Amino acid sequence: MSPLETRHSLIVRLKSEQNELAWRDFVCAYERFLTQLIRRQGVPDRHVPDVIQQILMTIAKSIDRWQDDGNAASFRRWLTTVSRNVTIRFMTRERKQAGAVGGSDLIAQLQQIEDKPDEQSVRMYEHELIVWAAEQVRHEFLESSWKAFWATTIEARPVDVVAKELGLSTGSIYMSRSRIMARIRTRVAEVSDDD
Amino acid sequence: MIESNRKSLCDVTLLQRSLSDQLSQQQEEQLTSHLSYCDVCRGKLESFAGDHDNWQRVCAVLRNETSGEHSSSASPTSLIPNPHLSNPDDGEFYEGAELKPSDFIVDYLQPAESTESLGRLANIEIRGFIGQGAHGIVLKGFQAELNRLVAVKVMAPHLASVVAARKRFAREARATAAITHPNVMPILQVDSSGQLPFLVMPYVDCESLQQRLDRDGAMQLSDVLRITLQVARGLAAAHAQGLVHRDVKPANILLERGVERVMLTDFGLARAVDDATLTHSGLIAGTPHYMSPEQARGDTVDVRSDLFSLGSVVYAISTGRPPFRAETTYGILRRVTDDEPRSLCELNSELPRWLECVTMKLLQKSAEDRFESAERVAELFEGCLAHCQQPQAFRLPAEIESLLPRSRTKRLQRRLVVGGLIALFALTLSAITLWANQIPHSAQSQASDSLRSAPTASSPSTDSSPKPSAWQDGVDESLRDLETDLETLLKATELP
Repeated sequence: MSPLETRHSLIVRLKSEQNELAWRDFVCAYERFLTQLIRRQGVPDRHVPDVIQQILMTIAKSIDRWQDDGNAASFRRWLTTVSRNVTIRFMTRERKQAGAVGGSDLIAQLQQIEDKPDEQSVRMYEHELIVWAAEQVRHEFLESSWKAFWATTIEARPVDVVAKELGLSTGSIYMSRSRIMARIRTRVAEVSDDD
Repeated sequence: MIESNRKSLCDVTLLQRSLSDQLSQQQEEQLTSHLSYCDVCRGKLESFAGDHDNWQRVCAVLRNETSGEHSSSASPTSLIPNPHLSNPDDGEFYEGAELKPSDFIVDYLQPAESTESLGRLANIEIRGFIGQGAHGIVLKGFQAELNRLVAVKVMAPHLASVVAARKRFAREARATAAITHPNVMPILQVDSSGQLPFLVMPYVDCESLQQRLDRDGAMQLSDVLRITLQVARGLAAAHAQGLVHRDVKPANILLERGVERVMLTDFGLARAVDDATLTHSGLIAGTPHYMSPEQARGDTVDVRSDLFSLGSVVYAISTGRPPFRAETTYGILRRVTDDEPRSLCELNSELPRWLECVTMKLLQKSAEDRFESAERVAELFEGCLAHCQQPQAFRLPAEIESLLPRSRTKRLQRRLVVGGLIALFALTLSAITLWANQIPHSAQSQASDSLRSAPTASSPSTDSSPKPSAWQDGVDESLRDLETDLETLLKATELP
């Protein structure tokens, strides 16, 4: 079995079928986020799969410590918190030992690093999350809508001017940009418990 | 008064539903124009989308990201809108960051051995760049030992580390290898051992149906039929192998230049009908304009899902636009499952009514209501093409004719046929009468009796003259039969 195959079948034995489903769904979404995050951290492409594998394994191992309190959403919330912590630990380690990617000891290292979050890594993590979500959402919208959103919110240009420029009505710009914002927040919520 | 009309349009639930693109076309139009002047609703909509802090935070991050102040990112994002695209009617979705061919060549190819080539990929000399899609780029290559030109489809580097994408690639290779058909693009070689997996296909001078559509818009009827017919044949070949293509769309249909051959390509999403191991991944690649309702819902699909997509292709190439459109991919999916597309003939008045009927039959929401198979669709389109080219010599296939609503002229034709039959019936009657002139009275009265009350033909005759009963019975029977036939015919021609 290739490392890629193993990663996809990181088998986690959970008591409830619902939690197993939640785990698989989460890993699917989180893997995509991690891939981008790790690449953007400057990890060379050839190491990316290995690093993702190790981070996911670390998360999977922590599941032993999961205590079911009977609350349906609690597993999911717990999972996002653990993933966030493990990933921030990875980012902290990367920052401190520039270029020290991969290696079979990464899991051990990630588990050793204490749980005290490093402020800068936390900020970076949150930044990456929003950027990732925005990139996903961009694919879901007509390019003209994305343009209108960008011009009127990020560039803070007047709606009526942008409307003329793009040949859209002002009403449709108000609609598009709120839709885009709502979607970005939904995407962020898929891999975090912030919202 | 105008003021009160405006007030009445303020609808909180509508605003909330609009955020997830759940409005009908009409509601959407109304709300859009309402938002052009209603500050209150604008404010509400924005607060439903996110509170003040959410807006601030997202804007700050994205602004920071693209202004270059954010130092941690080694690879830049692809968030800044594409300046070349400005027409809101283009209906285009962003398909992914452009991969610069030059960067690709520098990063992933081995140095070239001859001056003609740009670099090497395994045993292939790369000679040029053909195009790129959401999942990879296509290069023109040359295999010296086989002395042939090939097209090499290389997986996009950012996908090569994603398990699902690699699986998809491998699946494409396996699936296509099982099909040999002139309307399916073959795969000559697969290499998934290297850093970037790639597929090798014959080099064919072609363009995609999507490119043709973007350039020339709606197509002529004969081209629509010719292309659909060949795609249907290619699909039939795939279906015969138990494979559902699942991604039939103009971008995956290639038109060979100079030759009228059409080829179906990109079996990346294809999967065996009974393969349940890969359920919906939630990944929508590119445009969902051509998805079937069962795909949009994430239900299991069979070969008839491809027929729906084929219907969407027919719709798009004959009108110049796909049947279901919306601002978001989610909105499109919802329309695919819930809405009826606008009439084909309304969008292009030159199209015959029967094409609309065939397309709508393919676009039925429920798979059972579509045609039974791609093979059948191919046969029917063959018949349609023959009819279109020589209407005198070839009639429209009966199955297609039966889809047409009964028009006035059709009814008139039927009336004429029935009239003729009645005349024939009368003639037969008089012939019988003449032939039976030995007993003129009784035969005639019997015949008219039968006409009025066939079931009571056995009613006692008041006629006293002698009659050969056996013969008499025979006439009665055939008269009754004729009458029943006539009734059935008349019923069949009644208004629907």
